[in-house]
Amino acid sequence: MEATDPSIEEAAFVADDVSNIIKESIDAVLQNQQYNEAKVSQWTSSCLEHSIKRLTALNKPFKYVVTCIIMQKNGAGLHTAASCWWDSTTDGSRTVRWENKSMYCICTVFGLAI
Amino acid sequence: MGDAADFALEPPYSQKFKASRAKELINGVLVARLTGQQYHADNTSSWAREIADEIKNKLKEENWARYKFVVQVFIAEQRGEGVRLACRGFWDPNTDNYAHDSFSNESLFCVATAFGVYLY
Repeated sequence: MEATDPSIEEAAFVADDVSNIIKESIDAVLQNQQYNEAKVSQWTSSCLEHSIKRLTALNKPFKYVVTCIIMQKNGAGLHTAASCWWDSTTDGSRTVRWENKSMYCICTVFGLAI
Repeated sequence: MGDAADFALEPPYSQKFKASRAKELINGVLVARLTGQQYHADNTSSWAREIADEIKNKLKEENWARYKFVVQVFIAEQRGEGVRLACRGFWDPNTDNYAHDSFSNESLFCVATAFGVYLY
C-alpha cells in the first residue's frame, strides 16, 4: 500500500475523528436531559444534523449514512447489528453508545467512498 | 462490480435500488425469523447479526449492479419503553435510497433498515 501518498491518506475514513464528532454531537444535544417523549424526535434530528454538518466539513469524498436511536431506560434490552457490502479498504463505520440515567443513545456513521 | 476504470453516473432504471422491493425482502426475513420468538438477552444479539446478513445477501441477489449496501438491524425487548429511531443520508438522491421495515410481537420488536448507495 502506498500509505505515504497523501491523497490516499486524505481519502480514508478516519474512525477516530468520526467517533469524536458523534460523541460531541450527542453531548451537545443530550447533556443534562431526561427522556421526554415530546422531545426525542427533535433530539434525534438535531443530533443527526449536527453530525452530518461536521462530517461534511471534513471535505472528504464520501457519502454518509447516519442513524441514531434513542431509547428510554426501563430495563429493556436493545441489540443492534450491521452488515455491509462495500469496499472495506475505503469505507468504514463507527458506532458510539451513550447513556445517562434515563436513556440510551446509539449513533452509527457509515462512510462510503465515492 | 465492474472494472475500476468504468464508471456510470446513473444506473439504468432496471438496476436501480428499489425501496419497495427492498422493503418486501426485509419484511420476508423479519417475519420468517422472528414470528413466535421470545426476547432472550443471550441470543438476540446473534439474531440481529444473522438477520442483517440475511437481508444483505437477499439484496445482493437482486440485480442492482454497482450498489453498496448497508443493513442495520435493531432488536429490543418490548417493555413499554419509548424509543425513537432516525436516520439521515448525505448522498445523491437520484441514485441512493433506503428501505426499512419493522416487526413486533408481545416480547420483542425489531426494526431493520437497508441503505443502497451507488458507486459511480
